[in-house]
Amino acid sequence: MYHALFVSPWSWWAAGPAIGLIVILFAWIGGRALGVSTGYGSVCAAAGSHLPFFGAKEYHEGWRIWFIAGLPVGGIVAAVLAGGLAPTLAYGQLDILTGGSLAAKAALLLVGGLLVGAGARWAGGCPSGHSIVGIAQGARSSLIATLGFMVGGIGVFNLLYALFGR
Amino acid sequence: MRAPGFMLFGVLFGFVLSRGRLTDYDTMARMFRLAEFHVFGVIGSAIVTAAIGFWLLRRAGQRTVAGRPIDMRPKPWHAGAAWGGLVLGAGWRLTGACPGTSLAQVGEGKVVAFFTVAGILAGTYLYARIRSRAGTPSVSPRVSEALR
Repeated sequence: MYHALFVSPWSWWAAGPAIGLIVILFAWIGGRALGVSTGYGSVCAAAGSHLPFFGAKEYHEGWRIWFIAGLPVGGIVAAVLAGGLAPTLAYGQLDILTGGSLAAKAALLLVGGLLVGAGARWAGGCPSGHSIVGIAQGARSSLIATLGFMVGGIGVFNLLYALFGR
Repeated sequence: MRAPGFMLFGVLFGFVLSRGRLTDYDTMARMFRLAEFHVFGVIGSAIVTAAIGFWLLRRAGQRTVAGRPIDMRPKPWHAGAAWGGLVLGAGWRLTGACPGTSLAQVGEGKVVAFFTVAGILAGTYLYARIRSRAGTPSVSPRVSEALR
């Protein structure tokens, strides 16, 4: 039982409904729509950015920073229960793609992250707020954004494949 | 519910993202290669579960457990959803992470995820800078009202 819950990875049919349940409790108890990426804007605003863009009300809702601050803690809890926290610079197949160079890996993750951050603000949400909460609400915007995520991601895969053959 | 309480939801969400292999680069790479059903299964079943819950909450009068109104209007339509979606998708494929999973990765001890998080913060700021200079809000109120 302990092993199935905390050590071996969950199947999709366990993880998906669990996420759905968190989204429902978020609305029922918290009274809000779960979303992560707007919280990054809240961090910018809280750090002192006075850009008019961050003047919008959503970047000043106090719960957002608390919510995203909990995410790393959840990662720590998962790692500790699975057998212990073991910090590592390894990052799966990306290590092969970047030929073991930490600088190349860091640069790729920074550039990729830049696209994720800018894309999320342009799209008005990310895979949590759009793909899960938005589609469950039946929002057209969220469905189109999610199709965009998939097309954008699959397009880059094909580009990587053409360049590196993997 | 007071703001600090939302941290508990963050812990729970980060834990499930990690347990569900969504913080794993190779899992995300396999999804975009259409080589594994896992992530599609997670997102699909999460949508179905959430949709049923939202339907029940609407039927119950769209109130929280404490009797307050639930504040969740669907995101209004704007063309940026498509363009921004493409850009985010490209970044998701490159990093194997999205705004939520990258933060959970940092907690798990995947040290390089700090670069992803820094990139996302920088991208958020950069987009806001460009938008602020252009002087247009992210979603035109006129457009969102017309489509409401």
